[in-house]
Amino acid sequence: MIRLVQVFNTLIQSGGEKGEESMYDVVMHHLTDHAITTGFIGKINIQIESLIGGKLFGIFDMRITRWVLMMWLALFLCVIIFIPVARSIKKSTMGSKSRWINMWESLIGFVHDEIVEPNFDHKYIRKAMPYFSSVFFFILFCNLLGLIPGLSTATGNLAVTAGMASFTFLLMILVGMVKQGPLWIFTGIVPHGIPFVMYFLLWPIEIAGLIIKPFALTVRLFANMTAGHIVIIIFIYLVMMFQNYFVGIGSIAGSLMIYMLELLVAFIQAYIFATLSAMFIGSSMHAH
Amino acid sequence: MQFIKEGLLKVDPGLLLWTVITFLILLLILWKAAWKPIVEALDSRAEKIRGDIENAEKSRQEAEKILNQHREMMANARSESAQIISKGREEAEKIKNDIVDKANSESKAIAERAKKEIEMVKEKALTDLKAEVVMLSTEIAAKIINKNINADDQKSLVNEALNKIRTVQ
Repeated sequence: MIRLVQVFNTLIQSGGEKGEESMYDVVMHHLTDHAITTGFIGKINIQIESLIGGKLFGIFDMRITRWVLMMWLALFLCVIIFIPVARSIKKSTMGSKSRWINMWESLIGFVHDEIVEPNFDHKYIRKAMPYFSSVFFFILFCNLLGLIPGLSTATGNLAVTAGMASFTFLLMILVGMVKQGPLWIFTGIVPHGIPFVMYFLLWPIEIAGLIIKPFALTVRLFANMTAGHIVIIIFIYLVMMFQNYFVGIGSIAGSLMIYMLELLVAFIQAYIFATLSAMFIGSSMHAH
Repeated sequence: MQFIKEGLLKVDPGLLLWTVITFLILLLILWKAAWKPIVEALDSRAEKIRGDIENAEKSRQEAEKILNQHREMMANARSESAQIISKGREEAEKIKNDIVDKANSESKAIAERAKKEIEMVKEKALTDLKAEVVMLSTEIAAKIINKNINADDQKSLVNEALNKIRTVQ
């Protein structure tokens, strides 16, 4: 995989002429994160740096970056949308007449019916709903914000998706420990009724599976959100590469098509992340 | 491991920590302020709708039962009324026949009586006539006997008779 990335890098670095931005520069500019050094946020960043002395615990660079701002925007949108929606739903017991409220209600119903209900027992649905709704809508909003020109996709970054997947990982272990006892990690994850010797073979595999599941979540969300953006940017970059207006017709049409696809992908990936998290966490509620 | 520190696959620990913090804040705020009331409201609504549907089903069955009862009652009433009508018709027919028979026999009786009366009157008239004829014949016989007595008597008888005729005239 590392080799593949290197090949990819040399391939796109070769584009562009001297003195111009290469395709690699354009893509990297749009898809990678940098700490903000200018304006109001830049001043706050200097304060943060001096407060924690460079890096927190030596590894965490806590300066606010573009991606952090995007996540805060998603957080802000979630808060200003769902708190009034919650109030309105609570107030009108027989369903609201407003399309806006009903749209969000149907999405929440989607989370309830498609993500939480198939993976949890009936009595735990109410407890599981808040976490999975938060995951779904936070990722959905991050994905969709990235499609607005000028903004960035927070979920198109491995650190962000790894942060989200680490919640799934921790919850898998925590739920297993609470529901099946603290020694769950030794007994619960291996299927029952296998020969004793097989246990020593299967246990490492199951442990590896436990780690691979959130890792797969991380990479899936990151790759899906990044790939679409790379394609959109490259379609538009074609105009700069060929220096020709007519290329613009095809490349704009192409990038528009990918953009439409990305709208779909944004929703599907949020759904997949939430539903796989529910599946993993739900499966650690019972012994295999 | 250079690709983790730089480029597209860079994993920035600071950003990871920010993600965790942001998501925890989101979870806490929305858990209390949004998801809990929404889930409760939706659950209670679902419960209410389920109850309403059950009630509606029950009322529908009840209504069906009542409708069936009504249908039965209507059918009963219809057959009963038809029975009553046919019975009434039968009775009316009977009464009509009775009346006609009675009238026939009465008219016959009246005709009989009239015939009898006519017979009686005829007999009486005949007897009266007979008596009259007897009287007249005796009168005529007496007159004839009187004429035979003498000529004067005869003459005077004739005159008398003529006078009678004259007076009649």
